[in-house]
Amino acid sequence: MNKPSQKELTLSTSDGQVRIRANCTPEEISAYEYSSQFGTHASYKSLYTKRETLEKKAAQSGSNVTLALTDENLIVGFGVLTYPSTDERWIQLGPEMMMEVKALEVARDQRSKKIAINMLNMVLINPEIEDMIIYMVGYSWTWDLDGTRKSAQEYRKMLIKVFSPYGFMEYQTNEPNICLKPENLFMGRVGKNVSNELQEKFKWIRFGVYT
Amino acid sequence: MRYPKEVILKDRTEAIIRPLEKDDESMLIYFYKSIPEKDRWYLKYDVTNKAVIHKWIEDIDKGLVFSIVAAAKNRIIAHAGLLTHEFGCTKHVGRLRIMVDSKYQHKRLGTWMLLDLIQLGMDKGLDDIRADFVIGEEDPAIESAHKLDFFKVATLKDYVKSSRGTRYDLQIMVKRLHKTWGDF
Repeated sequence: MNKPSQKELTLSTSDGQVRIRANCTPEEISAYEYSSQFGTHASYKSLYTKRETLEKKAAQSGSNVTLALTDENLIVGFGVLTYPSTDERWIQLGPEMMMEVKALEVARDQRSKKIAINMLNMVLINPEIEDMIIYMVGYSWTWDLDGTRKSAQEYRKMLIKVFSPYGFMEYQTNEPNICLKPENLFMGRVGKNVSNELQEKFKWIRFGVYT
Repeated sequence: MRYPKEVILKDRTEAIIRPLEKDDESMLIYFYKSIPEKDRWYLKYDVTNKAVIHKWIEDIDKGLVFSIVAAAKNRIIAHAGLLTHEFGCTKHVGRLRIMVDSKYQHKRLGTWMLLDLIQLGMDKGLDDIRADFVIGEEDPAIESAHKLDFFKVATLKDYVKSSRGTRYDLQIMVKRLHKTWGDF
């Protein structure tokens, strides 16, 4: 995927405006402050506890790092779209045919303001996504059940509710890490221009059959 | 939950998991007729009796039993159900029953069916799911249950008896449905 142009939307929340900025570069990420909420809590650790991790993701070819920023340029949310690593089965579909929504996280003190759903919108804003299959994996052991006061099943349902409006559907897979817990979730979004042949191949890959 | 669910078995058979429907009666009768006696003597119901199957079909949409089937090549190849209670001291517990065509055993189909019903149990807010298995007769199902974190809570020695008079142990297994972080 070519590096697309940056896009931004402004979200009005009860605590002021939050800017949702897509396709952030490593350089601009390094200029922002990182919320201390992205750290280690009693029963939960943020996916990325250091801003540098986001910078590295943004440097990867084709990635889209989307940030939620306060007026003070404080990062209070991040969404990351990247290609799967070479040791993952999804690479078998073909070069640059699949991308993963690797992260979608909002700081604890900024939740319930529709930041996540707006970030997801911006994560998926590049038109190239219609030529590929985008997927997300929800591992229940990474979920902030304590902070959201949800059960694993409620959290799972929330994820389905967030991703479904963008064309994601729940799929079965025998990928071993996903199969570790029944609560875990795998969803995929098949782009409008993805051929039937590739969709069929995706079905087999989900079950570890590489033809 | 989203149905139908596509699954691919270990031998690359494509199967569809979906809820049991009113139109499935004749296919379900055919399915259970094809199950040899050695694989059904330990069931609680005479599944060769059409009235039993009819009752299961009638119970669709009544809310206490949720049945799913797996279908391949226009045939039912497995049937599973989650039984719940509206009232009483065990209304927090769902009970599982499952039957997989012997030709499709050891191909992970049972695991997919169990996984589906576990997720349903979670959706229904159950605390536990119970499944009873006859040791020596339902070992593949016991293996599938173990993989899904069911654990043995009791073994009733020589509890079930075949038509030939042979006694078998009954293993009661339970899975706790995680609700909070502390359960992980």
